Amino acid sequence: MTSNIYDRRRVNGPARSVEPVYIDAIEPIAFPDGLRNDGRSLDQLRPIYIKTGPLAAQQTFSSTAPSGSAYYEQGKIRVSCAVYGPRQGRKSNPRIGSFDCDFQYAPFSCSWKKRSHIRGADEKETAQILEQAIAPAIRLEAYPKACIDAYVTVIESDGKFATISAAINCISAALADAGIELYDTVASCSMSSDSSRWVADCSQPEEDASSCSLLVAYMPSVDEITYLLQNGKSTLDQTEQAVQACTNSCTRVYAVISRYLQSSMEQPGT
Amino acid sequence: MASLVLSPAEQDFIIRGIEKGFRGDGRGNLDRREVTLRTGMISQASGSARCRIGNLGVGTDVLVGVKAEVNAWTPGEPEALGSVVCNVECSPSAAQEFEGRGAEEINVELTQLLDRVISRGSQGAGGLDLSALCIIPKQAYWVLHVDALVLDVRGSIADALVMAARAALMDTRLPRVVVETITDDSGTAQAEFDVVDDAEDLVALKGVSGLPVAVTFNQVGKRYVVDASEQEEAVTQAKLTVAVSPALEICAIQKGGIFRGFQPSLMSEILQTAQRIAKEELTRFVALYEEAAKHKEQQSDGPSTGSTFLVAF
Repeated sequence: MTSNIYDRRRVNGPARSVEPVYIDAIEPIAFPDGLRNDGRSLDQLRPIYIKTGPLAAQQTFSSTAPSGSAYYEQGKIRVSCAVYGPRQGRKSNPRIGSFDCDFQYAPFSCSWKKRSHIRGADEKETAQILEQAIAPAIRLEAYPKACIDAYVTVIESDGKFATISAAINCISAALADAGIELYDTVASCSMSSDSSRWVADCSQPEEDASSCSLLVAYMPSVDEITYLLQNGKSTLDQTEQAVQACTNSCTRVYAVISRYLQSSMEQPGT
Repeated sequence: MASLVLSPAEQDFIIRGIEKGFRGDGRGNLDRREVTLRTGMISQASGSARCRIGNLGVGTDVLVGVKAEVNAWTPGEPEALGSVVCNVECSPSAAQEFEGRGAEEINVELTQLLDRVISRGSQGAGGLDLSALCIIPKQAYWVLHVDALVLDVRGSIADALVMAARAALMDTRLPRVVVETITDDSGTAQAEFDVVDDAEDLVALKGVSGLPVAVTFNQVGKRYVVDASEQEEAVTQAKLTVAVSPALEICAIQKGGIFRGFQPSLMSEILQTAQRIAKEELTRFVALYEEAAKHKEQQSDGPSTGSTFLVAF
């Protein structure tokens, strides 16, 4: 658990640190019968905020600025994404473009453990998940020999699966901001279960108390699930129900993303 | 995955064949290939297995070794559980593109898949019992290092990987541990453990028969196939790997492929089919494992330079 890497270029904190314990902290019930701790019902998602173009160039043209960017908030989750491209790719395929994703947790983003600035296996796998979830939405045949890169940074994380679906939504918004040709915006949502009921959009304590988590990325206009991930055990009926419910939640998220994208176009000077 | 370069005519041939229910080697869309399984061939490992999926002696070949070691507990870890650490590597001898850093992406994907299926996916009743791996709570526990090496790729790596890992864990034998409570002079009771150093005194893992089996569905055109060959994987647009336990629960689902998604209506059909196929695969696995155990018995009397691990054809 303790990091043995001593970095001479930085001021190293103590080798081990723990989150302070507050004396009157009440242990939250993770899967209650009524409302949850933050007042949400079991199938209610956290409020979403999207700002597109926060990383846009201030001058008329800057070669180093990203083509599109987005900042996404969902409850306590904060994710930022920059999209570069279409630009010359390393692996140049004459028939079809390629989509690459880089995912990183900021060192201060997770609960109490400092994350290393070197990509771990966890981050590499999440990058692959994001690629597989988003690539079906992009018209890659319109960008032969080119490469579209998305760089995602998680500024604050709250529930692993919820953070991944936030990242998917953020990339969708950033791609739209970059003007990349898409079949549809990919919307994503996650659920967790404690083997008795499924709860949508779980925070970290709720996810820790769950036995099974599900992530769905969905394109409503073409009715295609672009990514599905289940971690943990559940029966066939429960999984089917959850996939159905999660897909419906994705449609709601899609409506929110579309609303923000529309309003960003209506603003003058954007 | 190892990507073949197929001409558009070949691709069209495969897609149309699958639409009619005919595959290149004569199988139906849901038929699987032969599986050869051998266990216990790595003497230094606590458990090992080698699984080959393919007809006529050629196929996807995965070798899994399990090594157990005792870890000291550090604060922040679960107090009374052991752990399983998985690692999958694709050998450069399997495909040219796995040379150097070429296999990095697929290694990460398969490692996380195996980790999901074995650790997270088999938790709870009927799965691998991690609490049985705890030696002394808050002091010491067994950690199982499951290392997989993909030796040859002919499609359907995930299925072979999970099957080999399952067999390796069933083959794993841990040395017996004796735990004593010693009360020292000041009256505090300290628990101490001792690993029995007897090669014959071994204990099997608890709950391994609850481990899941993986079935991968590849979408080709409008239909899907199970246990895809290399050529079929080259024309696959999307695939879904479903892990099902012997109690027919869904332990893990992971989608792969970057070209397309699945229709939600197709999803429930795939899950139903996965359950049915997994039941057949689990029955087949039991028979294969028994045959492997018998083979291991015979080999232990034979010469130690085991000439071939697997059935030559």
